[in-house]
Amino acid sequence: MSVESRKKALRYFFAKVVEPLGFKFTPDHELAEFLLEQEVTLESKHGISFCPCQPIRRDRARDMQIVCPCIPFHREHFDAMKRCWCGLFVHADVTDPGSLPQLSAKDLGIER
Amino acid sequence: MQEVRMYTLSTCPWCMKTKRFFAEHHIPFEFTDYDLADDATQARIMRELDAAGASGFPFVRIGDQVVEGYQPARFAKLLGIESQVR
Repeated sequence: MSVESRKKALRYFFAKVVEPLGFKFTPDHELAEFLLEQEVTLESKHGISFCPCQPIRRDRARDMQIVCPCIPFHREHFDAMKRCWCGLFVHADVTDPGSLPQLSAKDLGIER
Repeated sequence: MQEVRMYTLSTCPWCMKTKRFFAEHHIPFEFTDYDLADDATQARIMRELDAAGASGFPFVRIGDQVVEGYQPARFAKLLGIESQVR
């Protein structure tokens, strides 16, 4: 399967997961395309579409928490930012994703 | 000038933006791409992130302060260059 075909498939599957959670793909099309491409690369290498912005620790329990879309594992944190860590997904009402800062859970006083 | 050291991922656009921020403001920095590092280096980086209570990249150390994430306003404040950053 080509990278473009796999990106299209991931878009389809991810939308099914994130929409019921109140998220959507970022309107920043260029960012979304870049992130999806990284995920396809990570999937080719590791067999799983990990988040491109979080570390793979080779600790299965922790690594499963960064499989995209990882929103359910970081709900409080991502809801507070109105975006996920890498920015592939934003809250459904967001129209200007560039205005959303990337803040750590610690910055927001959220315990993990 | 405070020493700037960062841990990043080669796949992360926010890590790229962070490197660009420091380069554009002529702030010298060192970086290690976690995903391209050897096993021992990865283990050391994870210990450092865990000790700081951090879990994501970019992870930036400016002097003795740590910033997790692409936070240009905070980088500028810690570097004392707020006036140069919009």
